[in-house]
Amino acid sequence: MSRHPAPEELLLDYVAGALPAGPSLAVALHVSLDPHSRRMVERLNALGGALIEREPAAEVAVGDDDAALERTLARLGEISVERRPTPGARLSAAFDWAPAPLVPHLRPGMGWRRVLGKFDEIRLDLPGDFHRVSLLRLEAGRGLPQHKHSGYEYTVVLQGGYTDETGNYGVGDFAVGPGSVRHEPIADQGEPCIAMIVVEQPIVLTGPVGRWLNPLVSRGLI
Amino acid sequence: MLSADEAADLIEAIATRQDRAAFASLFRHFAPRVKAFIMRGGADAEAAQEVAQEALIMVWRKAASFDRTRASAATWLYTIARNKRIDHLRRNNRPAIDTEDWLTVFAPEDADADKSVLAGQTYTRVKELLGGLSADQLVVIEKAFFEDKTHTVIAEELKLPLGTVKSRIRLALGRLRDALEKDEP
Repeated sequence: MSRHPAPEELLLDYVAGALPAGPSLAVALHVSLDPHSRRMVERLNALGGALIEREPAAEVAVGDDDAALERTLARLGEISVERRPTPGARLSAAFDWAPAPLVPHLRPGMGWRRVLGKFDEIRLDLPGDFHRVSLLRLEAGRGLPQHKHSGYEYTVVLQGGYTDETGNYGVGDFAVGPGSVRHEPIADQGEPCIAMIVVEQPIVLTGPVGRWLNPLVSRGLI
Repeated sequence: MLSADEAADLIEAIATRQDRAAFASLFRHFAPRVKAFIMRGGADAEAAQEVAQEALIMVWRKAASFDRTRASAATWLYTIARNKRIDHLRRNNRPAIDTEDWLTVFAPEDADADKSVLAGQTYTRVKELLGGLSADQLVVIEKAFFEDKTHTVIAEELKLPLGTVKSRIRLALGRLRDALEKDEP
């Protein structure tokens, strides 16, 4: 079981389909790695099913339903029943740490980009979402520059682990909070720490050197 | 009425022999319910009808991915209808994202060994549980599911402190967990 699960009210937001794409992907990754949260999501889906089943049929003029059924049946001719998907379609070994919900967002040509000489980043583009969605990779023992955010920050660990003022986070662990708290995560010993971070922009660097780089960050150059 | 077992049989009939009569039975049962469900969120009848039809067509296409040991037909349909609603909203307000992304999240591949939630039992218990929630708890749960609002937005709408809404959600989900854990090893 995860030591740092996503809060239950956030799982409800996720199951209800209320989260923007970025935070929703962060929760999906956590859920795919954490059996405890996955069970809760299955229960919540069942709650959604019970709410649908409890619905009385919508009031419609007599015959409308039959017409809708006829139209739909007519469309089935050109839509085939798909075969059961074969699991295990993975990307190259470079992304062997990526859980299933992340795979559709990765492309073979994607590579890590060095940022500030301190960490590596792959920026993900989720259309229509205002969040900044990134995969970050930190070598063991290295830290992220001290920073804070103006909005909420969601983090899910995909490989290795890190430690900050709030605790130690391993694979599958989830952190969410107002980013206004300054924090300085340090990667644990062992393999590099890879995490997906979703933040409401912008990030503000707070260290003595970092402060001077903020104009570049706000323009999206870093 | 359609029992959970009957509905699962119908989906399997589509998967194994593209059974159009089975599809028609599923459609008659679920399309009006999905439509009513979507309309509770404020959608007009035409939009809700479209979401319901798209959802049922997805049931046809993806029938082979349905696994009755993991989810009841109604639960599976809920996840499909929710995704279709998200697609619909994004088509109107935001660029579309591929529905397939969402469907893969709970594909059977991550089933591993934890099939501890027996689909049929879960679903029956959840239905019982809904009747046992307090009015305060039910309002919050319904707003989330019907209107796809986050708990933060619900707190604003109900003019309640965020902490109050969080605790109502946790109480409701706590009851859900307690009720279901009797069924789990």
